[in-house]
Amino acid sequence: MSLKREGKLTSSTDHLRDTQAARPPRTSNWLAFVSFAAVIAAQAYAILTSPADADMGHLQKIMYVHVPAAWMTFLSFFVVLVFSVRYLWRRQENDDLIAASAAEVGATFNGLTLMLGMIWGRPAWGVWWVWDARLTSTLVLFLIFVGYLALRAFTEDAQQKAQWSAAVGAIGALNVPIVYMSVKWWRTLHQPPSSPETLDPAYTLGLRINAIAMLLVLIYFIRRRYEIARLERAVEHMAEAAAMGGG
Amino acid sequence: MDASNITFIIAAYTVTWIVLLGYLLRLVRKGGRARADYERMAQQRSGEKSQ
Repeated sequence: MSLKREGKLTSSTDHLRDTQAARPPRTSNWLAFVSFAAVIAAQAYAILTSPADADMGHLQKIMYVHVPAAWMTFLSFFVVLVFSVRYLWRRQENDDLIAASAAEVGATFNGLTLMLGMIWGRPAWGVWWVWDARLTSTLVLFLIFVGYLALRAFTEDAQQKAQWSAAVGAIGALNVPIVYMSVKWWRTLHQPPSSPETLDPAYTLGLRINAIAMLLVLIYFIRRRYEIARLERAVEHMAEAAAMGGG
Repeated sequence: MDASNITFIIAAYTVTWIVLLGYLLRLVRKGGRARADYERMAQQRSGEKSQ
């Protein structure tokens, strides 16, 4: 059985036997171990070796978690965009499941980014929150993907759920460039984007390795969530087939 | 290092680990439930077929 056939979203029961036979593979735990160990090592390196910043002092160390979390948010929603468009084009069930998995993980990183930004903002700016372009657009992005997940949770029909969420996911992900460019387009309290190009070399390596470690966690989370989504969908297909009396 | 800054730094790393480990725990639990449902359903279906 080809993956293509297995992933096809149809209302018939033709593929149900295939789905039952195709036991979704289990994501190996070594990736979880490696990714979490990498985060511990990267954070330890950055905390212990980076010097105090001239303006912010040691508060700068929050950058090693805040910036990678923001990058993982953008990356997750880019995956949502790609697989949502692919779903709308090809109508393959697997594309919908990958997009949904990336959306859930992305919303988690988006929430983390917002919380870390508030924790950094309080001592740096004297306030937890300001309705600044970067913060507001990041919050809007978060709310769009919370809406995306709510839409999936409350829509029963699998095909309708996939179509609507692909549309919301594709449109929602278009907010990512607005979030990224907000500090350039508008005058904001938030500093310009931190990247290895804009940073003092003393902080570059720490940021890079923390971003790579967080990327491993992101890959593990999306793979694991996708595996679970496939299992859940296989169970739904089998239940549907049993209800229809198919064997 | 300023003591109040240390509090915010510790808070940031603590929140990060709570979120990462919390989501990992959610995946482990959800994955366990999904696999159990799958096994139960597959067994049920194979029992129906053999009858």
